[in-house]
Amino acid sequence: MANITYIEASGQSTTVNLADGWSLMQGATANGIDGILGECGGSCACATCHCYVDVDRMGELPAASDGELAMLENVAAERRPNSRLACQIKATAALEGLVIHLPEMQE
Amino acid sequence: MFSFDPYSPAVDADPFPYYKYLRDEAPCFWSPEAQMWVLSRYADIVSAGQDWQTYSSASGNLMTELPGRAGATLGSSDPPKHDRLRGLIQHAFMKRNLLALEEPIRAIAQQVFGQLNGAKQFDFKEVSSQFTVKVLMAALGLPMGEEAIVDEQTVRDNAVLMVQSDARTRAKGPEHIAAYNWMQDYASKVIAMRRANPRNDLISNFALAEIDGDRLDDREVLLTTTTLIMAGVESMGGFMMMFAYNLATFGDARRAVVANPALLPDAIEESLRFNTSAQRFRRRLMQDVTIHGQTMKAGDFVCLAYGSGNRDERQYPNPDAYDITRKPRGHLGFGGGVHACLGTAIARLAVKIAFEEFHKVVPEYHRVADQLPWMPSSTFRSPLVLELAV
Repeated sequence: MANITYIEASGQSTTVNLADGWSLMQGATANGIDGILGECGGSCACATCHCYVDVDRMGELPAASDGELAMLENVAAERRPNSRLACQIKATAALEGLVIHLPEMQE
Repeated sequence: MFSFDPYSPAVDADPFPYYKYLRDEAPCFWSPEAQMWVLSRYADIVSAGQDWQTYSSASGNLMTELPGRAGATLGSSDPPKHDRLRGLIQHAFMKRNLLALEEPIRAIAQQVFGQLNGAKQFDFKEVSSQFTVKVLMAALGLPMGEEAIVDEQTVRDNAVLMVQSDARTRAKGPEHIAAYNWMQDYASKVIAMRRANPRNDLISNFALAEIDGDRLDDREVLLTTTTLIMAGVESMGGFMMMFAYNLATFGDARRAVVANPALLPDAIEESLRFNTSAQRFRRRLMQDVTIHGQTMKAGDFVCLAYGSGNRDERQYPNPDAYDITRKPRGHLGFGGGVHACLGTAIARLAVKIAFEEFHKVVPEYHRVADQLPWMPSSTFRSPLVLELAV
């Protein structure tokens, strides 16, 4: 389990207690957080679960796969060095307290 | 004593009371008839769908698997093989790459649904099947018009048959295997045509694709193409039947989307949650898993009952109401995780356009029959016939 905090572009902040193995995208869509769409269902195929990860903790996450890096080229909002796709990050206890910011638009 | 037999015609007709019992009383249930475990709660299905290392698809994902298919398609393989196949195909199915298909799809919808002008009663399947086959042929680049090698209805008939199963033997019958073989034969002819004279279409690109210098093996190309045709025709057609069924049943919802077609996307999402055609898929355990007091052993098959997770009151309040204002985020109507449906964007686009055009011709309709004949299938659920009257 890990508590993950999602901060939407509006400033709205929501903390969700996520079961191990759930992706950060699933945690958002199952808990009514509107800033993540996840249109493809979590198969790294739509780039609508774009998020900005807490810069200080980027190094704690498993590196993005080639597929994720390629899909990140399709995000609608500005791509930054800390851009990730939330469907590709799985909750583990090590992510406790992680904060992610959501962009203004996903498509 | 409670039983859950996914081959039973009673489950084909109405699985939802069974699902409720499963979720409440037996959330990890062994079905002797299906010879597999059944997970029915939303949270358990999401967790399992996400954990492909434990819940493997490589022994097949259809509840009743087709011979020789497991391991050779997207849905029936695990990463990294899955990712390599998917990487070749998914680009074509991304939302922004489908824009070019919007006008052709609308032209198909206008032609097909235009036939209903003046009709007083009709079987919705007649129009939905014409529409889905034509859209799929356009999307995949299957030979059409002068180039066509089979008639469209035959493609549809075989796609629908190959996903069915026999309620008595709880297996594929000879007619289902024959349909599967027909589809493979058709796919192999199309692949040969495109290899001989490649065009800029999905199957040409796929048939000639190389990954790290290796061409895909012929079985992967053949069975993945076969599955794309099956999924495109049967799943999209089945979903359209379910959407029409819901709008014909719930008059307030239909009147709302007819008056304001901008509500169609929300109504489509709610249909995907409420009674998606892809009700159940299976996985196979790679290690022992203990959940809800039961221990499932490595090697056991597990059914992920998406249709039940979508009705789980633990996730969706008042789950048995069809409510087009619900906006059911995170629903399992397209599955989830690495194996979530490849065709989500084209399905949403095509169904929206279809119903926009259908409602221009037939804005008011209702079901003729109270009881419907349901497709015999352990995996999918949709009516075989849907008579509508204006």
